[in-house]
Amino acid sequence: MIRMEVVLISGRTAKQGASLEVGKTSEEYFENVAVIMMNEDDMKEIGVQEGEPVKISTEFGSTVVKCKKSEVNRGIAFMPYGPWVNMVIGMDTHGTGMPSYKGAKAEISATDENVLTVGEIVDLIRRG
Amino acid sequence: MIHEHVVCPFCGCLCDDLEVTVEDGKVVNTKRGCIIAKSKFMNHDRDRAKPMLRKDDELIGVSIEEAMDRAAEILRSADHPLIYGLSSTECDAQRAATELAELVGGTIDNTASVCHGPTLVSVQAVGVVKCTLGEIKNRADLVIFWGCNPGEAHLRHFLRYSVLSKGLFTQEGRKDRTVIVVDVRENASTKLADIFLKIRPNSDFEIISALRAAIKGHEVGDVAGVADGTIKEVAEKMKSCKFGVLFFGLGLTMSKGKHMNIDAALSLVRDLNDYTKFAINSMRGHFNVAGANEVLIWQTGYPYSVNFSRGYPRYNPGEFSAVDVLSRKECDAALIIAADPLSSFPLRASEHLAKIPTIVIDPKNSMTSLVAEVVIPTAMVGVECEGTAYRMDCIPIRLRKVVEPEFPSDKEVLEEIIEKVKAG
Repeated sequence: MIRMEVVLISGRTAKQGASLEVGKTSEEYFENVAVIMMNEDDMKEIGVQEGEPVKISTEFGSTVVKCKKSEVNRGIAFMPYGPWVNMVIGMDTHGTGMPSYKGAKAEISATDENVLTVGEIVDLIRRG
Repeated sequence: MIHEHVVCPFCGCLCDDLEVTVEDGKVVNTKRGCIIAKSKFMNHDRDRAKPMLRKDDELIGVSIEEAMDRAAEILRSADHPLIYGLSSTECDAQRAATELAELVGGTIDNTASVCHGPTLVSVQAVGVVKCTLGEIKNRADLVIFWGCNPGEAHLRHFLRYSVLSKGLFTQEGRKDRTVIVVDVRENASTKLADIFLKIRPNSDFEIISALRAAIKGHEVGDVAGVADGTIKEVAEKMKSCKFGVLFFGLGLTMSKGKHMNIDAALSLVRDLNDYTKFAINSMRGHFNVAGANEVLIWQTGYPYSVNFSRGYPRYNPGEFSAVDVLSRKECDAALIIAADPLSSFPLRASEHLAKIPTIVIDPKNSMTSLVAEVVIPTAMVGVECEGTAYRMDCIPIRLRKVVEPEFPSDKEVLEEIIEKVKAG
């Protein structure tokens, strides 16, 4: 299996903003937030099609979301703010209070694991 | 009934021109707002919180009085409670939360610590040349967006304030303005740019520093993948405009360098005022995160990350910021109000919230309320109750009430908890 190194950026999207007002446990929120936007050539390289699950791993953890085609440069991947990206963000704030939500090094690969629901992520947090 | 000039309580733009139609106590239509505003008003009654207490590991419905009693008991008996959130509520609630933090000797932090906290640190170090969005609408002929994406995050910013709006000296709107977007990727905002400067992730500090050097006439060469000619072109446009503004977002505060990136950007704009009029404004996310900073400054002298354990306020981002307090497992109770840290903090930091007694005060169910010990529902600010909020340029705006609430406001709940803590 090919594991590719990318720089991971997280940020607001309008759909993420609109669907969180519907509810964090809603289908809309899951569809719009449990995703990663990738360059088409990067998707080919790791062997995934649009809508298929990919695993993102950093030194802090891993997460599984569906991939989407995007205009980002090769080597960069973008995820909307939310619980899925938070699974791979480190706690160190370098004395500022701010974790490194943008620009983290991550590895991406194809996977047959399922995308966790918000409820399953909450269970994971409660189990610690 | 049609309510006019309603203010949208979602993002820092605080658009104050919405029309909201209410029939039989329900919002049935909105006009002029963006898709997020529409979603906020139309879905305000969905997924609402109810008063609950955790018993035998299950959240059980209780009376709001019972929930507030338990909240007061938790805060009274805690050695180091954390009060966090506050950016999606109004200023009087923020003031009450500060009073409560002082009363219980806890730490109080707002969501600025994970958005523009580094900006606040830099403003204290460097100073800031800023202006209102009204001045930008009327005067700005050069508008730069750096590490921010209003096309997705502040959807009517272009239209009302910065790019398409027509003003006193910008009567042709878009035609009167040059727009530069600096980002690591194409996005909804880059499509509108005259110049799109695509930069490598984590290279902001180097490029801003190169621009500062170019503005002062130094040779810089290619920097972090950006050609020498492009740096000179952008520097020249900055120096030769009549009124420039640099809007920046979390692309600067969250990337490598954090507050150092902002130090560089604030210094760049200060330098530019030797040649022309230039201002720099931060793109604030939640509708009253600016107010959360303002209120905490009035009350304590500091904008976020404040601790009262010695009886007087101490300020130290990195020590009293919520992510750090949770990561180090330093707090033994938490009150989360008008924010949802479980959906915004690194997962490992959230784990501590599930281990300690956590009180959630929020109009809606949230991820954090799923791990809470106490859930207290409140009226939705700007929809079901009034209050003051600060726009991203720190202009205070009065929020409206368009429907009747089922539950008391954040301020009323906090004041009640303060009384209960004092009585205990």
